[in-house]
Amino acid sequence: MAQLVCRYRKGNQIRWISHLDLKRTLERAMRRAQLPLALSQGHNPHPRISFGPPLPLGATGDAEVLAFYLSEAMDPGEVKDRLNQQLPSGLEIVEAWLPPRYKKKETFGDIDVAEYRVGIRGDVRLTDVSLRVSELLAREEPIVERGGLRPQRTVDIRPLIFSLSAEDAGGTGIELRMRLRTGSHGGARPQEVVTLLGLEDGETTICYHRTGLYASAQPSAARRRGALHRWTRTRSNRERREAR
Amino acid sequence: MELESLLPRVTKPARYTNGEWNAAHKDPAGVRARFALVYPDAYEVGMSHLGLQVLYHVLNSHPDYLAERAFAPWPDMEQQLRARGLTLTSLESRTPLRDFDAIGITLPYELTYSNVLNILDLAGIPVRAADRGADDPLVIGGGPGAVNPEPMADFFDAILIGEGEEAILEIAEAAAEDDRDAALARLGEIPGVYVPASYEASFAGAGPLGSVTPRNGAPAHIVRRIITDLDQAPFPTHQIVPFLDTVHSRVTLEIMRGCARGCRFCQAGATCRPRRERSVATLLRQAEEAVAATGYDEISLLAFTSVDHREIEELAAELVARFGSRGIGIALPSMRVDAFSVSLANTIQQVRKSGLTFAPEAATPRLRSVIGKPMTEDELFAAADAAFSSGWARFKLYFMIGLPTETDEDVAAIADLVQRLVAFGRGALGSRAGRLRIAVSIGAFVPKPHTPFQWVGQDSRDSLNHKQHILQRGLRGRAIKLSWTDADVSALEAAISRGDRRLGRAIEGAWRLGATFDAWGEHVDFSRWERAFREADLHLEDYANRTLGVNDSLAWDHISCGPEKDALRAEAEQALGRGEA
Repeated sequence: MAQLVCRYRKGNQIRWISHLDLKRTLERAMRRAQLPLALSQGHNPHPRISFGPPLPLGATGDAEVLAFYLSEAMDPGEVKDRLNQQLPSGLEIVEAWLPPRYKKKETFGDIDVAEYRVGIRGDVRLTDVSLRVSELLAREEPIVERGGLRPQRTVDIRPLIFSLSAEDAGGTGIELRMRLRTGSHGGARPQEVVTLLGLEDGETTICYHRTGLYASAQPSAARRRGALHRWTRTRSNRERREAR
Repeated sequence: MELESLLPRVTKPARYTNGEWNAAHKDPAGVRARFALVYPDAYEVGMSHLGLQVLYHVLNSHPDYLAERAFAPWPDMEQQLRARGLTLTSLESRTPLRDFDAIGITLPYELTYSNVLNILDLAGIPVRAADRGADDPLVIGGGPGAVNPEPMADFFDAILIGEGEEAILEIAEAAAEDDRDAALARLGEIPGVYVPASYEASFAGAGPLGSVTPRNGAPAHIVRRIITDLDQAPFPTHQIVPFLDTVHSRVTLEIMRGCARGCRFCQAGATCRPRRERSVATLLRQAEEAVAATGYDEISLLAFTSVDHREIEELAAELVARFGSRGIGIALPSMRVDAFSVSLANTIQQVRKSGLTFAPEAATPRLRSVIGKPMTEDELFAAADAAFSSGWARFKLYFMIGLPTETDEDVAAIADLVQRLVAFGRGALGSRAGRLRIAVSIGAFVPKPHTPFQWVGQDSRDSLNHKQHILQRGLRGRAIKLSWTDADVSALEAAISRGDRRLGRAIEGAWRLGATFDAWGEHVDFSRWERAFREADLHLEDYANRTLGVNDSLAWDHISCGPEKDALRAEAEQALGRGEA
C-alpha cells in the first residue's frame, strides 16, 4: 500500500462545492481514472483520502493538499495525469509526490499557517481600509463571536493573525493579504477578519483565495536535509524576495 | 455574472452552479431546436429522476437538438431573483428559459404543480397557455402526472402522455418549426401528444364529472406512448454526476418497466403496462459503461419490483461477481414481501448493506384481498425471519390507511401485526434484541385516475386523523418509529389527482397566494389551498372525497392509459362488490 500526496487547485467554477462534496467528487474521479485505490475495511468500504485544512465555502485556492492510498505503487506523474483527465473543470492536480521518508504517513497535521488574498470590490477606499487594518492590528484583543445558534463563545483572534495588509487591486477595489493560524489547534477564518474590518456590508463583492499552506515548525529531520515542505511551494512575491 | 453575486446569499449554492461531470455543453449555433428540461422541485430531487437524464441524453445525442436543465429555485434563491428582477436561466449556459424553443416540464406528482407555475413566472413566460404569444417558448409537459392532464391543461401548450424516449424526438422536430402556430399544429399530430387548447371541457355538476371533447378534428382519445422494446431503448450510461449529495447518488439501471402485479390502488402499475425487461447482457454492458463513466460506488436496480425481473438471480450473481471486488455495491430499491427477496438482498448486498423495506399495505387478509395485494402473513414472517437470521435488525414497513372498505379493526390490526413482528424479532435476535428497529410509515390512500379505485372517494380528513390516532396509541415502543403523511396534504393530493380542468383555477390561485414546494412539510400551507379553492368556487371535497358512479363520464376519460374502463369497472366490482363503488 502506497500513499501519494497531491497539491491541487480549487478554481472559480467549483468554489461553491462544499468540502464534503469535494471529497465525493474526488473519490468518483479516482474511480473513473481506474486508479488502484486501497479501500478501507469494514461495513462501508471507501477510498482513504485525507485533506489539508478545508477551504471555506465560496473560496478558491491553489495550494490545497490531499493524500490518498493506492493498493500498489504508481508513478506520481502518471497518477496526476490520469486523475486530471477525470476532474471537472475548476479542479486540477498541480503536483503529485510520495510522502517524504521521514514521515510514516502524510496527515497534514503540521500545517498551521494559511495565507489568503481577499479581493474586495465595491465602495471601498484603500486609505480607509489601511487605517482600519492598522487599528485592528493595534487593538488589544479583537474579539469574534462563534457558535452559530449554539451558545456563543468569544475568541480573541489577534494572536491568530500573523500578518495583515491592504493593497490596491488596480482600480477595481482592494486586496487584503493575510496570514492566519489554521489547523486543529484553533485558527482564524478570513471572513472573521473581513467582518472585524467592517467590510462585509452586503454591497461589496468579496472573493476569498488561499495562496499558501505552511508548516511553521518543520521537523528536525526535514530541517537537517534542508527539505522544504512541498505544499509551501506557492509563495508570495515578497517571500520569494526574502528567501533570496 | 449577476447570478454569481447571489450565491453567497443562498443555501446550497451548488444547486445553481452546474459544471457537473457528464453535463452537456452544446453549441447552440448548430442546432435546430433548443430544449430546457425542467424538473419542478429542488435540484437534488430532480437530479435523482432518471427520466430527466434519459431525455437529456436522447436530445443531446442528436445533432439537431440541444437540451439544458433547470430546477425549482429554493425559496431563498427565488427571493433573491425577484428582488433583483432576474429571470430564471438554464444551468448549463445560463440562458434565460424564455429564450429556448421549448420548455419540457416533468409532472412527477401533484404537490409539485404550484412549482410549475412559479418556474414559468420566474422565467417571464405567461403561466396560461392562452396568454402566450409568438415569441414565447412552447411549454410541454409529461411524466407520471400527465395521465390526468386536466388540472394542468390550461398551463401547457402540449402534454405527452406516456413514455418519452421516442416521442421526444418527434416533439423536438415540431419545436424546430419557426412559427409557433405551425409548431403547435405539428405537435397535435404526434401520437400521444395532447394539445389541451384543441379540446373543450364540459362539466356535469360538482367534482370531476364531465367530458373533454375534441375541436377541429383532434383525436377523441389520446393513447399513451410506450416503448415496445426496452432492451433497445436509449439509456444514459453517461449520467450526470452531481456535486451535491442528491436523493440517489448512484448509478441507476432500469432493469424493468411496468409491473405484472395488479394492486388496485396503484396508478403506476396500471398505466405502465405491459411489463418489459432489459436482458442480462444489455444490463451488464450498461452497468460497466455507467460505472466507468460516472465513478459511482453503487448501482441501483430500478423497477417497480426489481425482484420480479425474470433473470434477477443471474443478473444479481453476475453484478456481484464483477463489481464486488471493486468496492461497488448493488442496491435493490424495491422488494416483494417474501424470503426470496431477503435472500436475494443478502447475496447482492455484500459490499454495503442497505435497509430492507416491505410494503404489506394492509394488515388483514380481507383488506389485502380487496386491494389486490397478494401477500400472506406467513410470507411476511418468513421474510422477517430470513432478515433477522442474515443479520438485519432494522427494516421499514409501509402501510396505508383509508383504503376502501377499511374499518377501525383493519387499522388496529396494523398495530397488532407490527407488535407481533417486534416480539418475533426480539426472540429471533436474542442478545441483539436491543438493536431491533422497525420504521412504520403510514400513507393515506389516494384514489388515482385509471385505477380500479378511481371512483372511490378518499376517507374524510377527520376519519384519517382518527385512524392515525389509533396507530399512534397502538404503535408505541422503543423498537418502533412511526411516521405518517398529513391528512390535509393527502386530501390535496387526492383532489388534484382527480381534478378536472376547472381545478387549474385553484392551483393558480394557491400559487398566487404564495404556494410553492407543497411536497415539503416545512413549506406547505394548507390554508392557502383552502382559500384558493374557495375563491375558485370549488370544493376540495367534491374532488377528493366524493365517490363517483362507475357509469359516470369522468374528466380523464379521453386519455387512454392502458386498462379499458370496462376492465377497471370489473376489477372494482370484484374488489368491492357490485354496486358498492
